[in-house]
Amino acid sequence: MAEIKKPRALATQAAGKAGKFGRANLAATLKAKEEGKKVAYTYISNGQDEIIRAMDIVPAWGENFAGICGAKRDAEKFLQKAEADNFSRSICTYATCTIGFDMWREELGRIPEGTPWGGMGRPDMIIGSAQQLCDPRIKWPQATQHYLQDVPVWVGSMYYPPWDPHVDHREQEQLYVKFATEELRDLVRFCEKHTGRKMDWDRLSAIVDFTDRTWDLFIDTYELRKAHPTPMDTGDAMNTMVPLTFNLGTEEAYNFYKELYEELKGKIAEKKGVAGDEKYRLVWGAGLPSWFALGDFQYFNDKGAVFPAEVTYRNAEKVERLDLPKTNDPLEHIAWRWVRFWTHWYDRARHRPGSIPKVERIIEYLEDYDCMGVVFHSAFSCRSWHAGIVQQAEILKKVYGDVPMLIMEGDIVDISSYNEADTHHRIDAFVEALEASRKRRQ
Amino acid sequence: MMGTYFAGVDIGSTMTKVVILGEEPIASFIGPTGPEHRKLAHKVMEEALGSARLAFDDLDYVVATGYGRINVPFADKQVTEITCHAKGVHSLLPSAKTIIDIGGQDSKGIKIGNGKVLSFVMNDKCAAGTGRFLEVIADALGVPLSDLGTVGLAATAPAVISNTCTVFAEAEVISQLAGGESVPNLIAGVHMAIASRVYAMTAKLKIEADVVVTGGGAKNIGLVKALEDRLRMPVLVPAEPLLTGALGAALIGRGLYADAVISGEPVRRRAKRLGEATFFS
Repeated sequence: MAEIKKPRALATQAAGKAGKFGRANLAATLKAKEEGKKVAYTYISNGQDEIIRAMDIVPAWGENFAGICGAKRDAEKFLQKAEADNFSRSICTYATCTIGFDMWREELGRIPEGTPWGGMGRPDMIIGSAQQLCDPRIKWPQATQHYLQDVPVWVGSMYYPPWDPHVDHREQEQLYVKFATEELRDLVRFCEKHTGRKMDWDRLSAIVDFTDRTWDLFIDTYELRKAHPTPMDTGDAMNTMVPLTFNLGTEEAYNFYKELYEELKGKIAEKKGVAGDEKYRLVWGAGLPSWFALGDFQYFNDKGAVFPAEVTYRNAEKVERLDLPKTNDPLEHIAWRWVRFWTHWYDRARHRPGSIPKVERIIEYLEDYDCMGVVFHSAFSCRSWHAGIVQQAEILKKVYGDVPMLIMEGDIVDISSYNEADTHHRIDAFVEALEASRKRRQ
Repeated sequence: MMGTYFAGVDIGSTMTKVVILGEEPIASFIGPTGPEHRKLAHKVMEEALGSARLAFDDLDYVVATGYGRINVPFADKQVTEITCHAKGVHSLLPSAKTIIDIGGQDSKGIKIGNGKVLSFVMNDKCAAGTGRFLEVIADALGVPLSDLGTVGLAATAPAVISNTCTVFAEAEVISQLAGGESVPNLIAGVHMAIASRVYAMTAKLKIEADVVVTGGGAKNIGLVKALEDRLRMPVLVPAEPLLTGALGAALIGRGLYADAVISGEPVRRRAKRLGEATFFS
C-alpha cells in the first residue's frame, strides 16, 4: 500500500508561535534604519546576546536566516551564488547561504526579490564569536566583510577549559573566565564606538538577571517532557528553541516559555502525547536537523517513536546547578555562566572511565527521560560538530552498554544531500531494531 | 496441499527474490526487478509457487522486504531488508556477527546478535561500493558481469583505481586500458576499490568474525577475495547469497504466525490478492 503523506504537524500551540519570533527578528533588521537603530550580524550561542540587547543593537542571525531558507527549500540560489565565488559546498551551509545572500544583495543594492521572509537588513557591524563549538565562525565574519567592506568586524573568543580526564578543569577555569570577561569588555567598547552610545550597566545587569530566570524557566519547562506520554518532542523543540536562541534576555522570550510551561502541564494532565501510541522514547543525541526535512520527526512519531529530550539547542541549564560564584560584574557573570555551562558534565565524565562529557550528557537524558535509544544527525557541512558523532556513539556503547543508535546523514540547508526514501528506509530499519530491543528487555 | 506455508518476497533494486517456506525452504525464485516492479512482483511469486506446487491461497503469511516492499499488494507485512538479512543469515550461519550486503544500488553493514540487528550502516548516496559500480566497469571493459570475478583473479598486479566516484572511476579505467593496463589487473583494481569502500563503511560497526557476505556482490569471487584481503579475515558466503533477505522475511512471517497460534490470537492478515500493484493498493 502506498505510504500516506501527512503535512508536518506540531504537538504544541507554542511551537506554532515560534515562527513569529523568526519573522519579527528579520523584520526588525529591516525596520532598524527607520528607527535609528544599528543592526549587527551575529551568531548563535555566543555569550554576547545580552550585551547586544543592552546596547539596543538589532541582532541579525545568519544561522536563523539560513535555516529559514532551508526550511522553505529556497536556499539553493544563495548556495550557488556563494559557490560561484569559489566557496566550497563542504563549508558550513549556514555560512555559504548567508554569504550568497550578502553577495546578491550587494550586487543589486537591495534585497533580492523572493528572499524568504523578506531577508536580513544590511548590517552596521559584524559581531563574531570564535569558540570551540564551531570553527567556521572565525572566518565567516571575515568572509562576509569581503563583500561588505565598510562594515566593521569584531570577532571575540569565548573559550572554556578543554576536556582532559586527567586534569581538574577548575584549576584552569578562573583563567578562562578572566579571558572571556575581557573579551566581552572589548565587545562593549566596540559596540560603544560604533553606536556612539555608552553601555547602561544597570540595564545590562537587569538583562543578565532576566536571562538567568529564562534559563531556569526553559529547563523547568523542558523537564515536563519527562512525563509519559511525553507532551512535546524534538520536532517541536526545533521551533521552541527560537526564543532561547535568538531572543535571549527579552521579556517576550520569558513569556513564551511561561506559556509553553502551562500548555505542557495541561497536556500532561490530559495525558496527551506526541504519538498516538508511544512505544519508543529516544534522545536526539547530537546534530543540527535538516531544516528542509523536519517532517521526518513526524515520520518517527507515526511509528510510535518520540524524542522527549535533545542535546541540540538545549543551550541552557538550571543556574543553581552551575553553582556560579557571586559577582557584581554582569560581564563576569556571563563569563562564569558560559564556562560552567560547557564544563558542568566534566565531573560525571571523569567518574566513568572511558567516558567524555558529551556522552555523559546523553546518558543523563537517557536516564532522566526514560529513553531507550539515541538518534544522531550527521550534517556533512557542519564538520565541527558532526565529525565526532561516530566517536560519541562508540563511546556511549562502550561505557553504557548496548543502546540502539541511528546515525542519519544529510545537511542543515543543502537539500541535495537528502533522499527522503532512503532516510525513511533507515528509520524503518531502526524502529525494527528498537522493537527487537524492547522485546529482549521484556 | 496440507501444512503451513510462508513466503518472503525481497524486491531489491535489481532482482526480485522469493522464498517459500514450510518446515524447511521448499522453493525459491529469482527474477529481474525491472522498472515496472509494481507490476511484476506477483509474476515472480507465481513462478516460486509453481516450483513449490502450491497455490497462493496455500500461503499462511507473506512478508515483503527490500526497497520495493511497500508496493507488494499481496503481502501481510512489510519488514526492512536489514532485519530480514539478519534473520536469514542467522538461520543459515548462526556464527555470523557481521553481515556485509552488496546489492545492486546500495551496500550495507549489519551487526547482529542471535539473529537480531544490533546496529547497521548503509551506503545509499554513492554508487561506488555497490553492484552498480561493477555493472559500469563490466560495460566499459566489455566483460560479462558474471565473468568479472574469475577474470579478476588472473591479475598479476592489480591496478590502482584512485577515483572513488563511479563516473570518474569509469573514465580512469578506460584511460588505464588505453595506456596498456591488462583487463584482469583493472578488474582486480576495481574489486579492491569496492572492497576498500565497503570496509570503510562497515568498520564503523567494529567488524567481528564471522563475517558473512550477501547480495549480488557475494557471487563475484574476485570481490569476495578482495574483501577478505581488506578485512584480513576469511568471510562466509551462503550457498545462495541473493536469497537471505527473502528467507529472513519468510522466517519472520512464520514466527509471527507461530506467536499468534501460541497466544491463541487470530493471525493478523491483510485482505490480499496475487496481482500487480495498482494506484489504490
